[in-house]
Amino acid sequence: MSENKKKILEMLAENKISADEAYRLLSALDAREGGQKETSSENQPKPDMSTKGKPRYLRVLVTPGDKHADPGHSDRVNVRVPMSLIRAGIKLTALIPPEALDKANNALREKGINFDVRNIKNEDIEDLIDAMGDMQVDVETAHGENVKVFVE
Amino acid sequence: MNWPPTLMHIKIKSKDANFSFWLPLFLLFPLVLVIFLILSPFMLIAIIVLWETRWRRMAIFSLGAAFLALWHLRGLKVDVQGPKESVYISVI
Repeated sequence: MSENKKKILEMLAENKISADEAYRLLSALDAREGGQKETSSENQPKPDMSTKGKPRYLRVLVTPGDKHADPGHSDRVNVRVPMSLIRAGIKLTALIPPEALDKANNALREKGINFDVRNIKNEDIEDLIDAMGDMQVDVETAHGENVKVFVE
Repeated sequence: MNWPPTLMHIKIKSKDANFSFWLPLFLLFPLVLVIFLILSPFMLIAIIVLWETRWRRMAIFSLGAAFLALWHLRGLKVDVQGPKESVYISVI
């Protein structure tokens, strides 16, 4: 345990700080130490991400809510897409003609999003896919259906 | 190592049709390879003809991209169940 962590716990024991404050301080300390470790290990070979829970599948689930519990009157969707297929599909976007990309840019601009889709690089997509490990979208529609999008 | 898909299971249920079958993709690969070898001279000619045009990139890239997409199909599962119809596709 580091000196800083000990100090925080001592302050908590002495009631100088609340448990909530101690938690926040410890979290900030962990984040800082994690960042330092990353910086020091930048020149070292990176560990194999496959053992660290790299996302393998994108899942989309649509299940009926309680209102539509009868399976004969509801839609159910269960889709599992391998991440490798998504990566391959992204490479297919290189086939999109420039005119179509211009149209996409214009459409985005009309919606107030000033972004050039041509600036998206393969490396960015890789980072995005890796970061999707923590993503979970959970939506309950007005019709009572549950929509879940997550990676596993 | 990512292995190519070997089997595809397709199940469709509807008012008019109700069938389920396994497609042995591993048996189709040699066939695809033969077709590719037969067509490869024509593809080469197409690439040479299109070399000076903006379709050059598409001609070269689309072949590789299509192959890559097929290779990574393993694990894909689509299961859609409606009140009267249902479609199930699974690639193993």
